[in-house]
Amino acid sequence: MVVVLPAALREYAKGASEVKASGHTLDALLANLDAKFPGIRQRVLEDTGVVRQYVHVFVNGDQVEQPDPRRVRVKDGDTVHIIPSIAGGTQ
Amino acid sequence: MTIPRDSTVALVGTRKGLYVFHSRDRRKWKLAGRYFDGVPIHHARYDPEEGVAWATVNNFQFGPVVHRSKTLTKWTRGKTGPAYAKKTGWSVAKVWNLVGGGPAEPGVLYAGVEPAGLFRSEDDGDSWTLVSGLTSHATRAKWNPGAGGLCLHTILPDPKNAKRMVIGISAVAVFRTEDGGASWKPMNDGMTARWFPDPKPRDIGYCPHKLARDMEDPNTIYQQHHWGVFRWDEGRSRWVDVSRGLSSSFGFGLAAGTRGGSAFVVPLTSDGDRVTPGGEMAVYRTRSRGRSWQRLTTGLPHPAELTILREGVASDGQDPTGVYVATEQGQVFATRDGGDHWGLLAENLPPAMSVTASTFP
Repeated sequence: MVVVLPAALREYAKGASEVKASGHTLDALLANLDAKFPGIRQRVLEDTGVVRQYVHVFVNGDQVEQPDPRRVRVKDGDTVHIIPSIAGGTQ
Repeated sequence: MTIPRDSTVALVGTRKGLYVFHSRDRRKWKLAGRYFDGVPIHHARYDPEEGVAWATVNNFQFGPVVHRSKTLTKWTRGKTGPAYAKKTGWSVAKVWNLVGGGPAEPGVLYAGVEPAGLFRSEDDGDSWTLVSGLTSHATRAKWNPGAGGLCLHTILPDPKNAKRMVIGISAVAVFRTEDGGASWKPMNDGMTARWFPDPKPRDIGYCPHKLARDMEDPNTIYQQHHWGVFRWDEGRSRWVDVSRGLSSSFGFGLAAGTRGGSAFVVPLTSDGDRVTPGGEMAVYRTRSRGRSWQRLTTGLPHPAELTILREGVASDGQDPTGVYVATEQGQVFATRDGGDHWGLLAENLPPAMSVTASTFP
């Protein structure tokens, strides 16, 4: 499936905005991505294993509300977007 | 852009990236470049002994990573950032401080993080191991964050003994280890914490803002506490209040001078009014281990109500001492004569959170 990376993470993929990865869950997908681009999983997930507070994941355009990536099913042909939340005004 | 050797470099971490300056004479400064555009840099430091610089790159959305550089103009991201084990329930939100192991532990890098913990790397920041003796301390469940977060902000390796280290955690305490991090003891004897109804000594609840080791006598440590500047005398095993003579006992930034017994602080009015007192920017210098202070203002702005954050004061280890003060208003002031005369190294930067300086041999 296709993973669309935000600008802040494209350096992991030599500047590519889209990369391919596989897995049956979002957790497996991120593990597969991390094998290709070491360290990238840590940028999406907290140390506790849930999706970071200010990171959003969309699968085929639908926002994932489940913070536990092990409980998010994905399949071949899906498009996964990783998007930083819009935030600001305090810094 | 190449930074010439035999220079002095100043690394200014701001809320919007890292600025690297260099100078051959510490009078005229050039900007080598801005790096990590838009990302908060809580600390960046060049270690002339190791020949490498490290920077904490704390992305608001995607978390912290540590970058390194030998040239200061090209930076390499570490493969992984410091991370807690899942079972702890904690997640590293920021890396606050990066310090090399020093002469006693060459090739080792330490990171102080939020929530408070100490990590160690032996591969220049590619992988990290938690110094678990600290976070398993009996008081850990009672550690609570201050306004700046529950941050481990100061790491002082002992230059002569790899088993010994002192660290500072905001709103918690100063701790020391003498067994390489396996066990830690609070190091608060002699401290005061005015917010307690009962002033009796306790293990935690103090608020060290910054610590610095005397450059000639590693057994002497200076501390800018929430209220008070203190000096640790190893022989007496206690902190001694050396705030007398300062315009305010409150402040954040602190640096030791090159010559033994010297240190620099920049007092702020109070914790409720974190600007330079009396509408004047002034640095205070001691050459007597805090027994007396000289107020330094030549070349500093007036009127000026400025804010200097935790990593906002640094010295460069040269003689005479170069001292650097970075402000939340985006200025960097510098002196190359130990504080007698000051000039503006840079201005109109984003809010500055840190400054460090060193030779670039």
